[in-house]
Amino acid sequence: MIWHAKSSSGVTLKAFNVRAEAALISEKASKITTTRPIDGVKLYVGLPLDTVSDSGTINNARAIAVGLKALKLLGVDGVELPVWWGIVEKQAMGKYDWTCYLALAEMVRKMGLKLHISLCFHASNEPKIRLPEWVSHIGESRPDIYFADRSGQPYKDCLSLAVDDLPVLDGKTPIEAYTGFCESFKSSFSAFMGSTITGISIGLGPDGELRYPSQRQTTKDSNQLGAGEFQCYDKNMLSNLKQHAEALGNPLWGLGGPHDTPGYDQSPVSNGFFVDGGSWENPYGDFFLSWYSSQLVSHGDRILSRAAETFKDVSVSLSGKVPLTYSWYRTRSHPSELTAGVYNTVNRDGYEAIAETFSRNSCNIILPGMDLSDDHQPNESRSSPELLLAQITASCRKHGVEVSGQNSLVSGGPKAIEQIKKNLSDENAVELFTYQRMGAYFFSPDHFPSFTQFVRNLKQLNLHSDDLPLKDDETADSLPDMNLHKQVA
Amino acid sequence: MSIAVSRPLFRHPHRQGGAHRPTYLNSSMARPFYLNYTQSPRPIFNDACSLSSRHFKPAKALSLRASSIDTAVVETSESSDVVFSETFQLKRSEKVDGKITIRLESGNNDDNWQLTVGCCLPGKWILHWGVNYLGDVGSEWDQPPPDMRPPGSITIKDYAIETPLEKSLASSEGESIYEVKIDFNTNSAIAAINFVLKDEETGSWYQHRGRDFKVLLIDCLQDEGNIVGAKKGLGIWPGPLGQISNILLKSEAANSKEDIGERSSQKRGLQGFYEEQAVVKETLVDNSVSVSVRHCLETAKNLLNIETDLPGDVIVHWGICKDEGKTWEIPSEPYPPETSMFKDKALRTRLQRKNGGHGSSGSFILDEGSVAFVFVLKLNENTWLNCHGNDFYIPLSNISVPAIQSGQTHSEDEGQNNESSSLLISGNASEENQEVSAYTDEIIDEIRNLVTDISSEKSRKTKNTKARESILQEIEKLAAEAYSIFRSSIPTFIETDLIKEVALEPPVKITSGTGSGFEILCQGFNWESHKSGKWYIDLREKASKLASLGFTVIWLPPPTDSVSPEGYMPTDLYNLNSRYGNIDELKILVKELHKVGIRILGDVVLNHRCAQYKNQNGIWNIFGGRLNWDDRAVVADDPHFQGRGNKSSGDNFHAAPNIDHSQEFVRKDIKEWLHWLREEIGYDGWRLDFVRGFWGGYVKDYLEATEPYFAVGEYWDSLSYTYGEMDHNQDAHRQRIIDWINATNGTAGAFDVTTKGILHSALGRCEYWRLSDGKGKPPGVVGWWPSRAVTFIENHDTGSTQGHWRFPGGKEIQGYAYILTHPGTPSVFYDHIFSEYQSEISTLLSIRTRNKINCRSTVKIVKAERDVYAAMIDEKVAMKIGPGHYEPSNGSRNWSLAAEGRDYKVWETS
Repeated sequence: MIWHAKSSSGVTLKAFNVRAEAALISEKASKITTTRPIDGVKLYVGLPLDTVSDSGTINNARAIAVGLKALKLLGVDGVELPVWWGIVEKQAMGKYDWTCYLALAEMVRKMGLKLHISLCFHASNEPKIRLPEWVSHIGESRPDIYFADRSGQPYKDCLSLAVDDLPVLDGKTPIEAYTGFCESFKSSFSAFMGSTITGISIGLGPDGELRYPSQRQTTKDSNQLGAGEFQCYDKNMLSNLKQHAEALGNPLWGLGGPHDTPGYDQSPVSNGFFVDGGSWENPYGDFFLSWYSSQLVSHGDRILSRAAETFKDVSVSLSGKVPLTYSWYRTRSHPSELTAGVYNTVNRDGYEAIAETFSRNSCNIILPGMDLSDDHQPNESRSSPELLLAQITASCRKHGVEVSGQNSLVSGGPKAIEQIKKNLSDENAVELFTYQRMGAYFFSPDHFPSFTQFVRNLKQLNLHSDDLPLKDDETADSLPDMNLHKQVA
Repeated sequence: MSIAVSRPLFRHPHRQGGAHRPTYLNSSMARPFYLNYTQSPRPIFNDACSLSSRHFKPAKALSLRASSIDTAVVETSESSDVVFSETFQLKRSEKVDGKITIRLESGNNDDNWQLTVGCCLPGKWILHWGVNYLGDVGSEWDQPPPDMRPPGSITIKDYAIETPLEKSLASSEGESIYEVKIDFNTNSAIAAINFVLKDEETGSWYQHRGRDFKVLLIDCLQDEGNIVGAKKGLGIWPGPLGQISNILLKSEAANSKEDIGERSSQKRGLQGFYEEQAVVKETLVDNSVSVSVRHCLETAKNLLNIETDLPGDVIVHWGICKDEGKTWEIPSEPYPPETSMFKDKALRTRLQRKNGGHGSSGSFILDEGSVAFVFVLKLNENTWLNCHGNDFYIPLSNISVPAIQSGQTHSEDEGQNNESSSLLISGNASEENQEVSAYTDEIIDEIRNLVTDISSEKSRKTKNTKARESILQEIEKLAAEAYSIFRSSIPTFIETDLIKEVALEPPVKITSGTGSGFEILCQGFNWESHKSGKWYIDLREKASKLASLGFTVIWLPPPTDSVSPEGYMPTDLYNLNSRYGNIDELKILVKELHKVGIRILGDVVLNHRCAQYKNQNGIWNIFGGRLNWDDRAVVADDPHFQGRGNKSSGDNFHAAPNIDHSQEFVRKDIKEWLHWLREEIGYDGWRLDFVRGFWGGYVKDYLEATEPYFAVGEYWDSLSYTYGEMDHNQDAHRQRIIDWINATNGTAGAFDVTTKGILHSALGRCEYWRLSDGKGKPPGVVGWWPSRAVTFIENHDTGSTQGHWRFPGGKEIQGYAYILTHPGTPSVFYDHIFSEYQSEISTLLSIRTRNKINCRSTVKIVKAERDVYAAMIDEKVAMKIGPGHYEPSNGSRNWSLAAEGRDYKVWETS
């Protein structure tokens, strides 16, 4: 009887089987799935970004149906579904088409899986998903609704945070548009709220993350070592900066961004701003960086507070994504984080303010990059995903913010999975991990077996081998399934 | 009406007095799946639960006779109290004979015809049907055109229609007839109507000889043995059809009553007919058993009375429980008359027939010490009745009252014990049919594990390994399917991989996917070859001719005993006496072919197999011969065959039970059989029929186990068309074939159906531009994975007398000029070799051999225009097809014309 109290392993295995069979025998499923004695990390798998196509149809519906079933049988808890602004509200403001997403939610419900919705207010390059047509249309005549860099190049994959409260969208502000979207979502999916839909993440910027689009894909060269550029050069940001400087009695500081920052593909140590003892460490630098980062935090607060208000009466958890800007983390100035909008340096913890904002709005933080390990970073980039992850989770813990994890690379391979396991097995580990992402590679013979293995390991992370019950029984069972032996050993 | 099979089906007990007393019966674990057993078409649960009543032989009356009634033992006493009385409803199924009628007749004018399907048994009948269109390939159903669907029809997936049968007034003998009429026009392109009948009340499916009913509307002979209605000639069965009916008579002499009458006038080869098919329907019959217990204070004994209206002999298989565990024990004597001991575990008492002859009863005297009386009823050797899957449990005397009142929790706690006592019963039953029950136990175990969410150590430990395995396999299959779909949406993904792989392969290396790489295939038969009855002998004479033409491999027809004479509906796999000749003639032929250096491919049909026996539902899914599989070998997702295997890992071939290759025993048997074919007959490799029907991974398993010299699979599905025009881009089509080859790990090649389809359009419609894909490569499988592509232009299905998808007439040699000069392994059809084309084909074959063109040769497309296609192969051979002009330029190389004919030319370097 001792084993029963101590170990979830035996129970896990059983639940795996019971639940799996339950899926085969659909009419029994509901009864049996309720008995789920597994605690620990919940595992979700992201659905393809282009699950619903630009033209409003479900891509590879059959494959998704089959995939869902496979996940269910494996014992995965749920799936994550990206819901795109540019698809749902494509034609005109306030005209929402949820048809495909509703169908998908129903598919997920029927399969007995949970659903995490990611509301995406940004555009995607690969696969190509745009902002709503009517927004792009406005952007053609008013490019200042987008972020701009020093050379004035607009970033057209999301709106600038400086227009959050400006009525640039046919008399409405972007915040109002986002809120309207959330409200329509809530009422359209009311039947799924709290039952199938367990969580919603709110898009906060580029790729949904709370950051500036400081890195631009200028070239296909992935070895880009630059720290990115500040994105404070659209009309509204500049005027905002100007006002701020004047208010502080330093009008000259508000004439533009810093003059000595390196370009996208220049090393951050090649110019004055980020070098040790550079501008970042002087009063001007502090002025600028404080303003730049506070703009971002306020933006996050604006969106999250409205979302929290919208979803306050449904039992779903809200979350937002915080970037893991890990390159140059081992330098003193953390230039990549600075351009991305997090004022985090050797002297200052920039994640406190962010965690505090999330905490105030009772939102969880989604952290990507749980698959990245320091060992595989190029030396010259001085980066450390692991240290940064540790810093952010510490801030979250301090402010009582729950953390959900994600992996960054879709095709990370076995090493990535090892790293994820390592991150998840930490004490105070994340509540939920979303594995990105379903697709051809995911199901390929190169990848799927290791994922299967991962799922099974995940369900027994907290156990040491000597906690495992009836070890000899398992082996004596002569199971053809070698995975089981491995995880016992 | 006769009782054949009874199944334990129950309603909740009706109380008659004593209702204040809760009993175990109510609180025992609910087993809802028992209740809905016959209701739904095929949930796994239901199948599994019915195991105990599967494989039953038809009922036989017990030979025991009722002996004289002796009630002397039964003591009645004034002072006795009725302490328990309850009536349990019993539901059994009974079989009722009836018939299904099929009538085809012409309507008000000659082109309008009507098919009437009727059934004389009461029920909620549904016609589940679909059609084949003219020119359709394979036997997949299609939906009929909307105007053909009677009112009330609903569509099922994209291939079938369900139409309810209406009660008809036109009943001849006063009995009610249910029927449905389908009107159709003979000018529509419908080749056949296929159907099965379903009774919604019971969820049962009714078929024709284990397969779909098929009504042919055209003169196309596709005799799979399930055709109803005559097609030609008044009252005279033409040759092949006569043979079919003989075959069928052998297998099912008694059950089918063919009545060919009312032949109406013949129109376009279509003629009316009327036919009756005997059917057996199972209906539920309500019976009951009443149990009452009196407690006699004077004797301190309990007197228990059982009364039932069950017909025939009823045996009570019983025991007592002495404590609250539900272990059966044998009470002390005296026992009622006609009681025998059963293996020291239980007593068997035959109830006395009542005087009226209706029902029977019995009395049991029990000591006060027992807590309960437990029993099940046995009607005959194979039919047991219990209570919701548990034993009947009758609490006795006052002692048991407290225990009963804590019934709910108690019964759950006792779940294990309770079940083990039912197991005892099946253990006993296994004496009669050991094999069956052993399996039954296993399934029961499995279900119990699933349903009762057991938390005990023991059950966790014995967590059924089979269930786990099957889940893993299921996950694997699902992942493979999802992978193939996701991947096919980005076809470039695999392309680059493959090119690399092909480049890495050493040029001459014998693998089962390619042979030596220099193979040239001959399809050594056509659709008529079975007719001579001595094809093996005929072919023997042609062996040396085939070798001299340059063929290295010959594909022989399917050798096994088969329902259809062509061999594609195999029955006993080890019986190699077929319409093509007997096993000895086959061996001699193989020897002759080997002598002239030709290797032999056996045509093996692994996807499906025709059953030789029916299960207890009248479904043909029990196999005969050396591989006497039962319905566990049949996939579960074709409702027509009620398989108990896993779901199919591929498409279903609807005309016969599809084999479940996920079953270990099936794979083991198939491997053994393939080994036997190699050793006994001398086959060198395989042509695999209908591999769409199961996962390529299983093929890999078979090929790795049998190490053939060469293997090729028939993965044939439709190309993509938009508005009737074939799409230029057939990447999705070839990707599906590639995916299959990939699933076999490249251990087999596949027929390049894509190339054939594109050649159809290119040559038939003068659209030669189609012969280059977007990247300047051949547009078929041969463009992506040449070493695994087996190119062909015609086979026994597409051409011959079937003509399902015939190559454009007169363009055949252009087709051969293409495939015989291009990479891939070409296959030449028998009909073309022995025809006026022989000399041209021979020339092309010798060009291929002379220039050492092989499956991995490189091809450079020089021209792909409206009226001409030209290509250069290995920089040694140049070719053009089409009426347009092309000449290779005589630069560094000197080209000389090697072959020339209508709209084609081939050059070689000299």
